[in-house]
Amino acid sequence: MENTDASSPERKLQCSDVGKCFQLLERILDGELVEGGNELLQEKLDQCQPCFAHFHLEQAIREVLKTKCTKQPLPEKLAESIRQMIQDAR
Amino acid sequence: MSEVQRRKYSQEERSVVFDGEFMPHIDSMYNFAFRLTFDEDDAKDLVQDTYMKAFRFINSFEQGTNAKAWLFRILKNSFINDYRKKSKKPATVDYQEVETFYNSDDVDYQSTSDLRAESVKDMLGDEISNALNGLAVDFRTVIILADLEGFTYEEMAKILDIPIGTVRSRLHRARNLLKETLKGYAQSMGYGRDEEED
Ligand SMILES: [Zn+2]
Repeated sequence: MENTDASSPERKLQCSDVGKCFQLLERILDGELVEGGNELLQEKLDQCQPCFAHFHLEQAIREVLKTKCTKQPLPEKLAESIRQMIQDAR
Repeated sequence: MSEVQRRKYSQEERSVVFDGEFMPHIDSMYNFAFRLTFDEDDAKDLVQDTYMKAFRFINSFEQGTNAKAWLFRILKNSFINDYRKKSKKPATVDYQEVETFYNSDDVDYQSTSDLRAESVKDMLGDEISNALNGLAVDFRTVIILADLEGFTYEEMAKILDIPIGTVRSRLHRARNLLKETLKGYAQSMGYGRDEEED
């Protein structure tokens, strides 16, 4: 992966509308904005440093949550006991 | 409601739906239950109760629709009705209070320039997990549903019985709170300042 904190001379250092931009980025990350989303995203990432940093931070947070918080081991006999309960309930 | 929904499943069909569409979600269900209750036995009971209810009300489940969302909704309701009161953790702030406190539509987007993607990626599982567990239950719940389980806003609205706008704003606030905690961790790890730049 590319260095997500890399600053680029083409990117402006001030975001013109943090509220609108960040909301847009977050909705794209949540998979809620598809139409024209990719073009808009690319434009923000290419041209705006705060948007670039925010996008990668939000993406990193989603990734670590997904990879590191979903591994609660299932108690050994739970599935079995549920099947048993269903059997008995029939 | 549709014909399909009202039709009763035969004994055999019930087994097919239960084993084929409900049981595959048991890992996600347990993870959700554990992160709500913080207790292995309570989580087990909660998952068991949920599956019992799912079986009992199986005729109201339409085959081919989102079984996972349907099950999560039952689990969340069971948690609120049966477990929240006797939770072993001290009571956290209720979302009703939280949302009256904030103006629901007034979502504040701001730059957290002092927290970087790199420092988040370098964090250990425990730190992320602790940060998540430290959130009030309603904030924790939306993060679990969105980020751990990948539900859409629309599915979350149905699971939680709240409007989509509330899902969005609650999720946004939950992530901001999470970032605050992570920022604290990052600072203690020495990631606080911009060493390389300027
Ligand atoms: Zn911007």
